Amino acid sequence: MANLKSSLNLRDKGAEYWERSPKWRRVALAIFFIAICYALPFLNNPLVNTPGSDFQSVLFYPVGMYVLMAIGLNIVVGKSGLLDLGYVAFFAIGAYTMAILGTKTSLNFWEILPIGVGLAMLSGVLLGTPTLRLRGDYLAIVTLGFGEIVRIFAVNTDAIGGSRGIAGIPTPPDVFNAKFTILDPKPYYWMLLTFTLLIIWMVRRMAARRPGRAWDAIRQDDDVAQLMGINTRKYKVWAFVLGAAVAGVGGVVYASQILSIVPDQFNLNISILILACVVFGGIGNVWGVILGAVLLAFTPERIRFLSQPRILVFGIALVVMMNLRPDGILPKKKREHFDPDWHTVEESGEGEIK
Amino acid sequence: MSENVLELKNITMKFGGVTALNEVNLVVKKGEILALIGPNGAGKTTVFNVITGVYKPTSGDVVFQGESIVGKKRFKITKLGIARTFQNIRLFGESSALENVVTGADVHSKTGVVGSIFGTPRSRREEKANLERALELLDFMGIKKRAGQLGKNLPYGDQRRLEIARALATNPKLLLLDEPAAGFNPAEKVALAETIKKIRDAGYTVLLIEHDMSLIMGVSDRVAVLDFGTKIADGSTTEVQNDPRVIEAYLGAPADAS
Ligand SMILES: Nc1ncnc2c1ncn2[C@@H]1O[C@H](COP(=O)(O)OP(=O)(O)OP(=O)(O)O)[C@@H](O)[C@H]1O
Ligand SMILES: [Mg+2]
Repeated sequence: MANLKSSLNLRDKGAEYWERSPKWRRVALAIFFIAICYALPFLNNPLVNTPGSDFQSVLFYPVGMYVLMAIGLNIVVGKSGLLDLGYVAFFAIGAYTMAILGTKTSLNFWEILPIGVGLAMLSGVLLGTPTLRLRGDYLAIVTLGFGEIVRIFAVNTDAIGGSRGIAGIPTPPDVFNAKFTILDPKPYYWMLLTFTLLIIWMVRRMAARRPGRAWDAIRQDDDVAQLMGINTRKYKVWAFVLGAAVAGVGGVVYASQILSIVPDQFNLNISILILACVVFGGIGNVWGVILGAVLLAFTPERIRFLSQPRILVFGIALVVMMNLRPDGILPKKKREHFDPDWHTVEESGEGEIK
Repeated sequence: MSENVLELKNITMKFGGVTALNEVNLVVKKGEILALIGPNGAGKTTVFNVITGVYKPTSGDVVFQGESIVGKKRFKITKLGIARTFQNIRLFGESSALENVVTGADVHSKTGVVGSIFGTPRSRREEKANLERALELLDFMGIKKRAGQLGKNLPYGDQRRLEIARALATNPKLLLLDEPAAGFNPAEKVALAETIKKIRDAGYTVLLIEHDMSLIMGVSDRVAVLDFGTKIADGSTTEVQNDPRVIEAYLGAPADAS
């Protein structure tokens, strides 16, 4: 039984295959998968198409957008262990920055993008600095409140459209031959994919280096992390700010595609759903989180033909899954690493220190 | 003149009605191994908690290398050069042994989040240096072959050794060891005593909490004794061994005093 279980453990199998692969094969595999991702809009397979909604649009939103946001939220929840229930707020700040500056100024998408990301990060600092001293449940409540405050503020502020929101948001200027229009979601999908790949690359670098170790330490034992010389406040705020930046990117891109936004799009459901992607996929493991986001975003679209009962079916599927795999589909599990060299090292205790 | 690395001045620590430490004065001199002993509940671990900033003393002052560190943040105290181990092992269990030690070595790195993302030359240099230092320390503690194993999966004794390696990685001026030999067999205790002496000989100053008398007599340069939160003796091993108050504390009050 245990044998059968371990032979079915695709995660470890995959990870092992990857680790044993020489560099050229890793590069080839990576290029292959990235190429597939870019080619996805041309995929027309009855298994994955989405009757009831346009497949290419679904790829951009919700699938691509959820993946991006789940990766961002995973920095906060998965890496540093901070429960953020108001993540949608940073998405909203990005989207509103695009909407306001796009309609009221002559700045284009590429000029607004860094501003939107910057404002999302700034709000991350402003929210994070005072609240990150709170632990667990308290932080969850405060962030939940923040998410709602941002939405309610938008509803009640006529200068930014109140509950009617903002319409007529400009599309990004052409890039090479790709024209960004409401009619063609492909270029948006490709742009989002490019940002996502870039962010994955950055996150993986951080995770393998000092910040990753600091977050690991904080998540496991905050007190000991401090006693090992880690400025835990600083690293928590950084996790928050980086998560906010990712959501900010998502918001700006989203607003430039959808052309008009209203505050109620940025409701608590989004925060919860993105969190569900992270938990469902496997907290802390970026590939699990991506898979979780793809499944959670895609499935409701795939079964849209069920109309009313579809959310119920989706919910049942979720509950069943979480019972089968309580740690998520692809949980973060560190495989123990045995370097053959380490086995041959004599346990001498004879080393010297400086 | 030997220089004082650490001075506790009239430290009192109260938890509600309990006085865990009462007007304790203690000096740790540079390059020595000072043993802190006392019966269970005497306040030894509390001394460590006060030094490392886990607790703020009710009154009194902690002076480290001529500077008061009372009220300083814990991570700053570690950066200044105090590192510790824990009586009930507190490793990062989900991280590998190597990562545990590198986390300690990270203390003095200058690279922050941005530098790590972009992989600046300094970030690469520091990552490499910290990794090498960590491997060196694992080797020193005799657990290099455990490098890739998760902290929680290490055998008990190696977990204690790993805690020492992690603390050493921060390059402390003062190393605090809280019962590092707890649960060790006699042979392991002898080996650990040798290791602690080697640590001192490498230039570190060690404050050691321990219950095992033979280990204490074997390694310490000086011994301080706590009993019910009060320091009752402080001196060379022979002085302390023959001190009537120490004998009383350990063997119980003489019949006529009760
Ligand atoms: N956080 C706390 N809250 C309340 N009381 C505490 C706290 N920490 C320590 N104490 C009390 O202070 C006294 C000293 O505890 P401490 O842990 O320092 O003893 P110790 O000398 O390390 O004992 P042991 O040899 O058992 O480890 C005990 O009576 C303990 O109950
Ligand atoms: Mg103790």
